[in-house]
Amino acid sequence: MMGRKREINRLPTVGERALMPAKNLLEEAGDMVILTGKTLVSAVKPPYPYGGEFVSQFLFALKLCWFPLLISTVAFGYGAPGLQASNFLVLFGAIDRLGGFFVLASIREFAPTVTAIVLAGVAGTAITADLGARKIREELDALQVLGVDPIKNLVVPRFLALMLVTGLFDVYALIFGIFGGIIATLVNGAPLGPFWATFFTNASTVDLWGSVVKCTLFGAIIAIVCCYKGMTASGGAEGVGRAVNQAVVIAFLGIFAFNYVFTQTLLATHPEIQVIR
Amino acid sequence: MSAISTKGNGWLESTGVLLRFCGRIMGEVYSLKVFRYFGEALRQCGILILSSTIVIWSLIFIIGLQCGIEGAYFNRSVGSPAYAGVFAAWCDLRELVPYSFGYMMAAKVGTGIVAELGSMRISDEIDALEVMGVPSMTFLCSTKLLAAWMVLPFVYLSGVGAGFFASYLAVVQQIGEVSSGGYQLIFWMFQNPPDLLYSVIKGMAMATTIVLVGCYYGYNASGGPVGVGTATAKSMVLNIVLVHVIGMLGTQLFWGANPRAPIGG
Repeated sequence: MMGRKREINRLPTVGERALMPAKNLLEEAGDMVILTGKTLVSAVKPPYPYGGEFVSQFLFALKLCWFPLLISTVAFGYGAPGLQASNFLVLFGAIDRLGGFFVLASIREFAPTVTAIVLAGVAGTAITADLGARKIREELDALQVLGVDPIKNLVVPRFLALMLVTGLFDVYALIFGIFGGIIATLVNGAPLGPFWATFFTNASTVDLWGSVVKCTLFGAIIAIVCCYKGMTASGGAEGVGRAVNQAVVIAFLGIFAFNYVFTQTLLATHPEIQVIR
Repeated sequence: MSAISTKGNGWLESTGVLLRFCGRIMGEVYSLKVFRYFGEALRQCGILILSSTIVIWSLIFIIGLQCGIEGAYFNRSVGSPAYAGVFAAWCDLRELVPYSFGYMMAAKVGTGIVAELGSMRISDEIDALEVMGVPSMTFLCSTKLLAAWMVLPFVYLSGVGAGFFASYLAVVQQIGEVSSGGYQLIFWMFQNPPDLLYSVIKGMAMATTIVLVGCYYGYNASGGPVGVGTATAKSMVLNIVLVHVIGMLGTQLFWGANPRAPIGG
């Protein structure tokens, strides 16, 4: 009788249950912000034992991502901005303007986002799977018992490596995205000279640094989300898979939400990049 | 899974294995064998609707906002802010709604299937199904494909609605250089029902691929809890590449030779 009464008392009310997902969401977001803060403090505070891990993570992401990213950016650049925009411009006999359009399409928009999607899907999932497996096998707890700080030795190198590699991959994605545009121009039987002419008259340094800074920050979002989800994985085999699933969903939503805010701010504060020359 | 990770030179072979696996699942759906487990398929439909719809819509909504502001600023810069609807219509319907649908399908549904089937494989539940006389591939994989085909066209269509609404908000309410009626006139002028059909075909091709790839990696997972995580990560790599390739091929096929725009003759 007593036990049953206690059972009833512990049941959450309808209101609590309705608010539970929102509460969990807020708690998780808060945890991620705390992890970001700890990572930043831990990255600048000596000692710096994470050099070797940083290099190996950097090479790991580089090795894993270069080929999927190449295919993705060429396909995206040829399909979305290349074919559709050249279709539209051919109607006006202004196919030379495709180069100018690619400044907007490639540099400002899809090179950073496709890079972030590929990095989150390829390197981010691998990081979550790796850290999740270590968490499940209690290696992270063992590290802490040995006096090794998992944030300094595992999260910080991944955070820095992913930021650097995402920022650098942005330039790579730009080059291959524009290659997709070149294919679209050639498919339409147009010469490449006007493409490059309008491209370089419209390109500005603001566009380029905006793109690289945006992409670097995407890398930070991916690293924090994926490390957090990996380090809090629980529940055996299914737990690791579920952690990867949640990490990549949160990373995608975070990337695009941040992209919207960043692009809007950049466009509104730098009106000079909107002028078509 | 071992076919993929251990044999360095065997990528052609593993592609063949993957294709044969996908062919078997599709064959079981087309030969209607899967309807023996229609209840399971309905349960999978319910899971898809309850767990994935909201995130798919929210990603499409965010990307619709993005199309809207880019369109508004681009058309302002060429001196025709009233024509922002052209950019938004093409950007939303033809390209970015299929892409964002594919991204979120891969992230939420694809990896979810791998995690679920992979952990069943690791804990020998799939073998247990076979021992009980249940054809595990039909029961687990084909039902998921059938569920995807039953539910996702509607999720996709409503997602298109979410994207359109977001672009409207961004162009008309946020940037505000064109009136609501003026925006909608141009917006609806530059699309017609065949465009929507092509867009749905593109999205469904991505969804089918993602479900099949997810089933393959989950069904063939090995190597303990670590193996499930690795399989999930690997399925994501293949899915991302395939989503982009399907998007490009769809654009080439449907709009490559015919811009389908109400301009000129």
